[in-house]
Amino acid sequence: MQSNIEDLLRELAPQVLGALVRRYGQFDACEDAMQEALLAAARQWPKEGTPDNPRSWLVTVASRRLVDDWRSEEARRRREETAASLELPRAQGLASDRDDTLTLLFLCCHPSLTVPSQLALTLRAVGGLTTAEIASAFLVPESTMAQRISRAKDRIKAGGAQFTLPPASERGERLRVVLQVLYLIFNEGYTTSSGPELNRADLTAEAIRLARMLHQLVPEEGEGAGLLALMLLTDARRAARTTADGSIVPLDEQDRSLWNSSQIEEGVAILTRTLGKAPVGPYQMQAAIAAVHDEAPSAQETDWPQILALYEVLERVSPGPVVTLNRAVALAMVNGPRAGLALLGTLDDDERMAHSHRLEAVRGHLLERAGELAAARVSYRKAARMTASIPEQRYLALKAARLA
Amino acid sequence: MKYMIMTFGSAEAGLAAMGRDWMLEMVKFMHGLDKDLRESGELVDTQGLADGSQAKTVRFEHGIPVPTDGPFAEAKESLVGYWIVDVESEQRAIEIASRIVAYVKQPIEVRRVMDAPPDF
Repeated sequence: MQSNIEDLLRELAPQVLGALVRRYGQFDACEDAMQEALLAAARQWPKEGTPDNPRSWLVTVASRRLVDDWRSEEARRRREETAASLELPRAQGLASDRDDTLTLLFLCCHPSLTVPSQLALTLRAVGGLTTAEIASAFLVPESTMAQRISRAKDRIKAGGAQFTLPPASERGERLRVVLQVLYLIFNEGYTTSSGPELNRADLTAEAIRLARMLHQLVPEEGEGAGLLALMLLTDARRAARTTADGSIVPLDEQDRSLWNSSQIEEGVAILTRTLGKAPVGPYQMQAAIAAVHDEAPSAQETDWPQILALYEVLERVSPGPVVTLNRAVALAMVNGPRAGLALLGTLDDDERMAHSHRLEAVRGHLLERAGELAAARVSYRKAARMTASIPEQRYLALKAARLA
Repeated sequence: MKYMIMTFGSAEAGLAAMGRDWMLEMVKFMHGLDKDLRESGELVDTQGLADGSQAKTVRFEHGIPVPTDGPFAEAKESLVGYWIVDVESEQRAIEIASRIVAYVKQPIEVRRVMDAPPDF
């Protein structure tokens, strides 16, 4: 019951905010009012029951807050100063909840914002999370997160952003930013870049929920579908990825019976519907690779030639050192560790890899497979020194210790 | 009163010297300690730092800030990680540090965190 209400509130949050901004302008004030209405609902609905029309209940409560706020002397002055901060083209005609939610996503992922601000604002305004929840997900003090969100809103106001969908000429690029923001939220939850916990399931679930919403809003976008599939197919392995004490279990040692088969099924279905119908892009390719792993009954039965071929396509559509690194792993599985090591060698002078532990971690792994244990140990230890993730450091140091 | 409990050295040197079993013990110990401090309501914050070899030192030389690779201190004196605990007495902070030193076997520094007005 309690969690049903929470789900409903999260779903309604962007629609309510969209309706408010459409009616009153002033994205920042409306966003605060929407949060207050969500809190009021979370307090009242469990006791008094969910209203017949929850959406209009929330809009009414939020509107009342806005009006109360504007009535107070100080707030009025503030409003005059910031009037026309977000003027709306009135009566846009067919504006719907669907467009509002999409417009909000584009606004929160506005290119003028820093990436951390885009993540935070998206989670709050579109995801309906409270500042406290977002702060705890990113392991920063609440006051820091509150400031980050408030600065992001100021910036949107100062930039004169409009509450309208971006013009067709910018849409592709703007959508790319939205996808990236959702992917970063997912990654922050899935593999934290630092800190003791490898999984922060809440952020992962929220990223999947938002990606699912986006996919429903723009089903024709192949990369939106690809991103959702990639998240589902990656997150499906979550239970098998770590042990109880937080240690990493590599893919080839995972207990595949712990993988979430319904999530795999859904991811594969989305991917199957999408591939070949939309222009191919990096999320679709990464999802396709994840699907090959997920569908292999055991590590030994993985279709590595297929994965190698997919990495070759990925490298064409979205070249970069990390893709090359992953292709080297696939190449080693198909043609032996020496072939993989030779490809890795091409990355040694790549500045972009100079501060990444992954090059040395993969090199250690391939050297170990090639039987060069002493050299493998050196690489593992170097990688352990370079990583900023505690579970990864532990994993790599143990690998090195085992070869001693 | 708040105390910062700090460990020094090089995580990697420790790992190399102590071997696999010690590492596994250590992981278990750290998990247990964090859990205890969380449950007792004394833990304010704890962080491990990336290896000192990845650090940058920024110095002010001839009127300009100059960043260089590497930690400020010798590797063995470089900060590895810390706990900030809010405890009843210095004695309690020392008690926690004593639990840690038995595993880490490297000196631990216990220092009072200065009080500041809440909205500084």
